[in-house]
Amino acid sequence: MNISLNWLSKHLDLSGKSISESSDLFTFAGVEVEGIITKGIASDKIVVAQIMEAVQHPDADKLKVTQVDAGEGQLRQIVCGAKNYKVGDKVPCCLPGAQLPAGFTIGETKMRGVESKGMLAAAEEIGLPKGEDGLLILPEDSPIGVPVKTLFDSDTLLELEVTPNRPDLLSHAGMARELATLLKTPLINGNAGASPASSIPAATDFIKLEATAACPFYAATRIDNITVSESPDWLKQRLTSIGLRPINNIVDITNYVLHETGQPLHAFDAAKVTGALVIRQAKDGESFKALDESVHILTSDDLLISDESGAALALAGVMGGLDSGVTESTSSIILESAYFSPSGIRRTSRRTALSSDSSYRYERGVDPQGVLPAAALAISLLESRSPNDCITQAAGQIPPAPSPVALDLTKLHHLLGNSISTEAAEEILTRLGLTKQAEGKWVIPSFRQDLTRHIDLAEEITRVHGLANVPSRFRATLVPTSDVDAAYDADMILRRRLAALGLYECQTIKLISESQLSDILPLRALQDGDLIRVKSPLSEDHAIMRPSIVPGLVTSAERNARQQAKSIRLFEMGRVFRNAGGGKAIDQESDSLAILVTGNSQPSSWAAKDRAADLYDAKATLSALIPNQTISLKPKDRENFTLGAEIKAGDQTIGVFARLSLKRERDLDFISPVFVAELDLGKLRKLISNKSQVEDLPQFPGSTRDAAMELSLTTPNADIEAVLEKAKEPLLISYECFDLFTDPSGQKIAADRKSIAYRFYYRDSARTLKANEVDAAHQNILKLLKTINGLEYR
Amino acid sequence: MNEQIASIQSSALELIAAANDARSLDDARVSVLGKKGTLTLAGALIKDIPNEEKSAFGQSLNAARTAITSALEEKQNALQAIADAAALSGIDLTLPARSLQTGGLHPLTLIRDEAIQILRRMGFALADGPEIEDEYHCFDALNTPADHPARNEKDTFYFNSGKLLRTHTSSVQIRTMESATPPIRIIAPGSAYRRDEIDATHLSVFNQLEGLFVDTDVTLPDLKGTLEYFFREMFGTTTEVRFRPHFFPFTEPSFEIDVKLQIKGQAPRWIEVAGCGMVDPAVFESINATRKDNALDPEKITGFAFGMGLDRLAMIRWGIKDIRLLIENDTRFLTQFA
Repeated sequence: MNISLNWLSKHLDLSGKSISESSDLFTFAGVEVEGIITKGIASDKIVVAQIMEAVQHPDADKLKVTQVDAGEGQLRQIVCGAKNYKVGDKVPCCLPGAQLPAGFTIGETKMRGVESKGMLAAAEEIGLPKGEDGLLILPEDSPIGVPVKTLFDSDTLLELEVTPNRPDLLSHAGMARELATLLKTPLINGNAGASPASSIPAATDFIKLEATAACPFYAATRIDNITVSESPDWLKQRLTSIGLRPINNIVDITNYVLHETGQPLHAFDAAKVTGALVIRQAKDGESFKALDESVHILTSDDLLISDESGAALALAGVMGGLDSGVTESTSSIILESAYFSPSGIRRTSRRTALSSDSSYRYERGVDPQGVLPAAALAISLLESRSPNDCITQAAGQIPPAPSPVALDLTKLHHLLGNSISTEAAEEILTRLGLTKQAEGKWVIPSFRQDLTRHIDLAEEITRVHGLANVPSRFRATLVPTSDVDAAYDADMILRRRLAALGLYECQTIKLISESQLSDILPLRALQDGDLIRVKSPLSEDHAIMRPSIVPGLVTSAERNARQQAKSIRLFEMGRVFRNAGGGKAIDQESDSLAILVTGNSQPSSWAAKDRAADLYDAKATLSALIPNQTISLKPKDRENFTLGAEIKAGDQTIGVFARLSLKRERDLDFISPVFVAELDLGKLRKLISNKSQVEDLPQFPGSTRDAAMELSLTTPNADIEAVLEKAKEPLLISYECFDLFTDPSGQKIAADRKSIAYRFYYRDSARTLKANEVDAAHQNILKLLKTINGLEYR
Repeated sequence: MNEQIASIQSSALELIAAANDARSLDDARVSVLGKKGTLTLAGALIKDIPNEEKSAFGQSLNAARTAITSALEEKQNALQAIADAAALSGIDLTLPARSLQTGGLHPLTLIRDEAIQILRRMGFALADGPEIEDEYHCFDALNTPADHPARNEKDTFYFNSGKLLRTHTSSVQIRTMESATPPIRIIAPGSAYRRDEIDATHLSVFNQLEGLFVDTDVTLPDLKGTLEYFFREMFGTTTEVRFRPHFFPFTEPSFEIDVKLQIKGQAPRWIEVAGCGMVDPAVFESINATRKDNALDPEKITGFAFGMGLDRLAMIRWGIKDIRLLIENDTRFLTQFA
């Protein structure tokens, strides 16, 4: 909402307050100041001064030393470089402390050794349009000492955000009432004489109120013999000061009254109303054409202002109809002032996506007692009408004032840490317009429908008292670690490990697009209906809850590759979403870790040739992440990927591994393989929480034996490992593959064969083994390995 | 005899001087001091020397041995020094390093962890809740009227099931209070969703941190002390913190919190960092109705809640001008936090 400080000053004396002081005042009333726009001269410290004397500066050819009368009882010495004035002229004088639009504040200074107590200013220096070169020469009759801003149109526009619980602040009068409370200053009665007639005749001929629930009270005034014309200057100025465009005297008056009092008014052209105004619910499917020419199909929940012909003249409280408004040829109007049910207006506005300054106020709740005074103010502004031209009627009941509310002093003092006295607390409520009854109950003014409970009164007292005046209490509590704490700590350990392993953590949007679905790698493959789609996505890019983090990482890797990143290693942790029952079961959320490796295995350096990261680099990262587990990959195809595998920690499946399909890599312009993995974070957390007892260090030395084997290129290494595990040789402690050799040219070894070398560690925990014992165990191992089809020792 | 010893000594010293590596030095040692070395052999002659000359002979023999031994030692040190110098020559400290992969945590993780560490010091435990929520936990139980603008399909992502993506982490307050009994002291970091077009200052999926303290004696001084402490730990112990009155449906009184910060090249200014307030009694009443007990009796129980945007805190902390940097994962950005 826009508030003009000049307009506000009609209600409240704000003189002596700087813009920033006024702005703070709003801030601590709970009203957010979103913008401050200054028009014309802002500072009060720029005053009219008369130049009484001007002599040459002793040390500067281009400067004069002036003595000016700024209405202070004594002359002020100011050094000035302008040439366009003569002694006796009146000019703007910026006193020390004046803030100029250029952003600096005037002070007292010395210029070339001569004291200068302020500045004589040109028009553009004080925020006015640029005039002639030199000082701004003011009219001869300008009173000395008055702020120059009073001679020019100047104003400050505040863009305010009023919270939804305070509709009473959505007007200049309402805002002034609030500020007067906070400042403890009286209001200036800006609209004297606008009180409504003491009795309004009940509606007989031109209002028919059918929907009393949606419209508890409806008043209308028929005004004849009007002339639609341009508004007077003062009115146009008021509207333009808050950014509204003047239209004609009737529309402008309704707009003015709305922004002055907060009560929306609506003017119908009486000639376009057949019979009485009928306030009724719309019929389901009834059509309404709004004055912005949009057409809406209504429901029986919408409230219409209609007439006896059934025409839809206005969507009550929201927007007028295209055909019922005031035009230049209008000679009689019917002026509506009403109280509509806030929730009804809110629903209609939401359903039709129509909103207006009126609906904004009605849906928050206008002051029921303000309905008639607003109409009276509008009528008074329609220049001298003869009483016969003006008939007001009303239907329904003005909603009652809120019930009195009890203030619980014990709770209040507890809440505020005993930082306010009961008297001071009660004085705040009194200033806010509440009246104390017997038994600690407070009568609530009609414009504060939001005050219904003790806590509402406590909030008002707290707000005005200010949290700055409440003491701070520091205390800690002992709380047991929750499961969420444990999971968080495990996640942080994993994150730090991944970072230490050379991966960067990513954060991607949890809503993904249809086109990213080919990259999903959920732990369990999805069935039809398992995807969770939002009903009305903002864009196709963010339409589906991610069932896997991999698509986000692929997109991130693609972006980095486009930026010429040579080595890309990424991870992300977070929620993934699926419906486990093809859309029939409940939506499931679980935590997942995804890893992506592509590009060079290491950043480039002089010391090593660049090498593209391969499957075994990716596998190394997985192994190093959980070093206390044997990590293996068990081939298992995944749609849209190649080299798909289950990730095993010992016997437990903890995730899925794959390489993007080669076509997908080409489509995304990746120049080296893209390896991805998605792991079950729940299982990882358990695996890293190592609570096992330590093993004793070996007391006796062990021995090693090597074996060089040749076997078919297609025999997987898993076959060797399977034999070794099955052997259960008690002396074999561990083994490792230490060499692998192939030769596609077939020169050193047949192209369809590979040479693989293993080293075996033998040890007994109770004694030192003899050489022949080691040899016997090793021979046993070699014999078992020989059962692998095509295996030869070299 | 003495002439002979003198001659052995001088030729030995010549040999030592001529030695240019460990090998030739050792050869020299053996040829003089070895079992069949010249000096050893000369020493064996002592038995043929007349008794009265034995002492003088022994002395000159020893003098020769001492001179040769020390020459050997000196030469050995000299040769080692040359070898050591050779071992280090040509090493260029200024040549760039070999390369190692570096990695790092996302700035959002860093700021979230910092916030959690501070709050844990005050005894807040972590809590959690689903991101796909129902209207009850996201709005109804939080005292948000059925026709509240936030419930609009324009602003909130809904599903055909009638569920929605939580618009704030405040739903975790409800989830927690449904099962826990006071004292309740929790924080809940997590994602929230709003139907905002993504631009330099908005994300449709963003990150919040929620806090809740519910007990028999929770007051505004507790709220103020806790959050002042938090933001001073976060932004420096002398940071000014102010509480502006505000409105949220689920707290009353409610405040927005500003901290006064100096951003490089700008004058210090108030920057909004969080919202907070005392839990509205209506929230307790609605949870009691769900629990079918009076564990959160609003006549006895009070509480405060707060919520802050972690993306925003990260932007403030590191001067990040475009929020989209937080979801684009450009490693040129991420390496700055490693």
